[in-house]
Amino acid sequence: MRIPILMPQLGASIAEATIKEIKIEVGQTVKTDEGVLEVETEKAMMEVTTPCPGKVVEVLAEIDVSYPVGSTLGYLEVDDSIAEKINIDPSEVQNPEPDKVSSNIKTEDDSASDSGALQTTSEDPNNPEVTPTIRGLPVPARASGATYISPRLRARMQELGLNAADLAGIAGTGAGGRVTVEDFESFMFDLETKKTSAASSMRIAVADSMRRSWTRPLATVGSPVCLENLLSHRKESSPKPGPTLYAIRALAIALSERTATAGRLVGNQIIHPSSIDIGFAVEVDDGVLVPVIRNVDQIPLKDLVEQYSALVESAKKRRLPKEASTPPGIATVTNFGSFGIVWATPIPLPEQNLVLGLGRGQQKPHWDAETSSWKPAIEAELTLSFDHRILDGGGAGRLLTRIAELLQRPSDL
Amino acid sequence: MAKSANQNQEPIGKLSTIVVDTYRWMVLARTFEDRISNIYRAGKIVGGVYVGKGQEAFSASLASQLVKGQDIYSPLIRDMAGRAAFGEPLIDAARTYLGSAQGPTIGRDGNVHRGNSQEGMPTMISHLGAMISVVNGMLFARRLRKKLNTAVGAACIGDGATSTGAFHEALNMAAVEKLPLIISIANNQFAYSTPTDKQFACNELVDRAAGYGVNGININGTDLIECIEGFEKAISLARAGKGPQIVVGNLLRLSGHGEHDDSPYVSDELRSSDLGQDCLLKAKDRIIEESWCTEKECNDIQEQATIEVNTAIAQAESEKGPNPYSHDWNAYSSPSFRK
Amino acid sequence: MSISYLEAIREAQSLALENDKNVFIYGQDVGAFGGAFKATKDLFQKHPDRVIDSPISEDAMVGLAVGAAIEGMRPIIEMQFADFSSVGFNQIVNQAATLYWRTAVSCPITIRLPSGGTPGSGPFHSQCMETIYAHYPGTIVMTPATVEDAYSMLLEAIAIDDPVIFCEHKYLYYHLKSDSLPKQTLPAKSARIVRSGRHATVVTYSAMLHEALRAADNMKTDGYEIEVVDLRCIKPIDMGTVLGSIARTGRVLAIGEAFPWGGVTSEIISRVSSEGFNLLDAPPARLNSIDTPIPYHPDLWRYHRPTASSVEEELRKLIRE
Repeated sequence: MRIPILMPQLGASIAEATIKEIKIEVGQTVKTDEGVLEVETEKAMMEVTTPCPGKVVEVLAEIDVSYPVGSTLGYLEVDDSIAEKINIDPSEVQNPEPDKVSSNIKTEDDSASDSGALQTTSEDPNNPEVTPTIRGLPVPARASGATYISPRLRARMQELGLNAADLAGIAGTGAGGRVTVEDFESFMFDLETKKTSAASSMRIAVADSMRRSWTRPLATVGSPVCLENLLSHRKESSPKPGPTLYAIRALAIALSERTATAGRLVGNQIIHPSSIDIGFAVEVDDGVLVPVIRNVDQIPLKDLVEQYSALVESAKKRRLPKEASTPPGIATVTNFGSFGIVWATPIPLPEQNLVLGLGRGQQKPHWDAETSSWKPAIEAELTLSFDHRILDGGGAGRLLTRIAELLQRPSDL
Repeated sequence: MAKSANQNQEPIGKLSTIVVDTYRWMVLARTFEDRISNIYRAGKIVGGVYVGKGQEAFSASLASQLVKGQDIYSPLIRDMAGRAAFGEPLIDAARTYLGSAQGPTIGRDGNVHRGNSQEGMPTMISHLGAMISVVNGMLFARRLRKKLNTAVGAACIGDGATSTGAFHEALNMAAVEKLPLIISIANNQFAYSTPTDKQFACNELVDRAAGYGVNGININGTDLIECIEGFEKAISLARAGKGPQIVVGNLLRLSGHGEHDDSPYVSDELRSSDLGQDCLLKAKDRIIEESWCTEKECNDIQEQATIEVNTAIAQAESEKGPNPYSHDWNAYSSPSFRK
Repeated sequence: MSISYLEAIREAQSLALENDKNVFIYGQDVGAFGGAFKATKDLFQKHPDRVIDSPISEDAMVGLAVGAAIEGMRPIIEMQFADFSSVGFNQIVNQAATLYWRTAVSCPITIRLPSGGTPGSGPFHSQCMETIYAHYPGTIVMTPATVEDAYSMLLEAIAIDDPVIFCEHKYLYYHLKSDSLPKQTLPAKSARIVRSGRHATVVTYSAMLHEALRAADNMKTDGYEIEVVDLRCIKPIDMGTVLGSIARTGRVLAIGEAFPWGGVTSEIISRVSSEGFNLLDAPPARLNSIDTPIPYHPDLWRYHRPTASSVEEELRKLIRE
């Protein structure tokens, strides 16, 4: 009679194991308790042994594949008398396919679910319904695991105005590595022995903003841009636009040509911006303000100068007019070159997915093909940080290239 | 109180006084319930209305012979006449039906679920038969305190309630304890739509008394005189310490089970039988025949009743119902448990 | 001197009969026989007019109590077993519990229910009925776990002007003894912290208190300190004490001997979840008997109800979360 070789229960919470070594082959004779497979569970390497003597007639297990507890990994041919003694009913054996998670939540009142009344899966792949599974979820969904913050811990943290980022440095000693209230309290206790100074509310606002922004995958592309044309245009302008304003205008035009690049990703939709509003960073005491100019794509550069200067003044006084901050813009320009920085990877504001950075202008040698010589030219690094869910390197690069292109013809801005 | 116009005969005996008094309560009850039924049909009463049409004589003649302040009277659903006879203010009835916040139950219970236990009339709950043991308890307590004297306690039920376990347990307990309990059973032939032959197998309902070791009296519930005499006997036996008395009044329910029911299950034959006679009309005829009152005096009684009923109902209608926001939502009386 | 839980109940009744002529006891076999469990032994001899035998009529017994209460007396109804009180269910929940609310007349009755399982008592002599009566507004439900509480809470129950369902645990009747009766007492509606701890709170009542304490003692050897709260009165529940305890420990296990659907443990879990969610380090847990009628065979019976070892198992799971 054929009897199955089953994946045994290898530990209280173990649900499956991966095959690491197959020690048998078809036709081989085996004894009772002979090791036939080596498997790896979450916790350890274990051996699967035979329930009785017999001959291997089928091996179904494959190396590096995971099988749930109770799956059939192979078959033995054994004497009927032996099979009877070990009490196996082959008809009760499960097939080796992994258990599908059931969408019919079986309750005590099975009559309802049998009639299909509780069927919750949807047939339409375009409109997937949520099919919650409640029971049998693995450990982190209950009350342990490194990312778990219990209601009690959360309440303590809220009392002190802390959030998960502030605790990043604590190693948890609780179940699954979670941070316990005791860990938290000794951490706080430790802090009391160190020198502290109060963080200003501006600092805290920026901290919160950056933390929220960082929940996205951000990347940066960079490209040098020649500033000669821009600088000569500037010399002849009156009033004189700041270099940042040139960048703001170039960015706006570039975005108006491809609005999706400044869109927001929500679920599986990209929300396009309704107007090209660009913000720019102004450093203030202990932080940054970002005034916003509206519809920049529709206003020529010379007409932006006055508004821009006024906003810079207001920002420095920390008194932005409401129209300049609400609603937020769709992208931001930051000129860290004014601090002398050549190159940086700025972080977009949490409600935006793009930030354009302008570095310090430097004299760089440019190869002049006509004269076959090096000529000096003022150049700066442009960096564009972006939310990699919405743009890839190519798209970001093209945007940056377009901006650099626009900056070569400042009179068209 | 009406004086008889009969000047040539003997001074009116005790019976006639009781008869005329009782008749007055019957008229009041009928007038009130007719009015309430009308209001109900106009949609102005929320919940059920159950009237005692046809049972007024049987109901009132028990209560009119009890003494408020001494005796205990536990009325049930079709005892408007008895309640009036025992001394329940009509305004209490009007207020309870119309949901006034000044009624005895402040809107917490309605229609016939009203009473005044401190005056010996406990408030019924809906479960039939359940009030009998409460009357037992009140009598039992008085006896324990040696304050029973010759008081009696009466509990009213219908034929249907005699099937309940509560009835059985309470009657048995009263019999064992030899309490001065009177159970008045209005056998109106139907419990909702269920006729008596589906309710009990005894020949006569009163036969049950023997099984409990108590006295049973069987009377024609449509005849006011017979009712008065029957209850008089029961009350005096109870007062004399003869233990529980069962009084069965045989009559017919002349209304639906409730005002929402038109009792199609009551046959015309039954309605036109002796059982189906209207005790009110019968009583009036007898009173006039005996010259205990003149026709005019009877009409005066009716007029008086109408005025009283209209006054009480107008009063109750003008009053506000309970305000859920300022209501005392507290089920305990103990101060330390009240929130 | 040693006094048992049962004797404490008898003493309380004796004192009540002595001090208040309005108190009387009514129940099957309570008179000369002294009651099925001897809770009224010798009381008939002292007060022959106020310790009265009743027929087997739980409905009429409670109705009689209500009538007597209306007249100003303070009846104590002894049900022979809690399980039989279901025959009087209607009178308890619809007559007694609603009397004050409907009529503004108090109903100061006390119904004593010999409750809970003992080996071999089977499905109809073992039930814990507190849940059913607590569900109805207007009742007060007490579940004393100690000799002292059996005494002082019964005295308080008799003095309270509302219907009190007094659930005495049969297993504790003779097994639980104390050195003396209390002089000072905690008000009946307060819960008591019987054992203080840090790692988890057990909330329980009646006989399960003792299982919880045994489990807590066992866990001490592994360095776990379990706080144990005895509810004492399960309607109303002293949530202040319960939440205060959980504020210290962050974990709660509610234990009851009663059936698992609904009941005291469900009530604790739901209140803790809504009022004390932010105190919790782990999901609130509960342990009740198995969801079947109570078995007769002692081995089945011991498996059916929570015991010190099943309590310990649940606690370890809770702490490991």
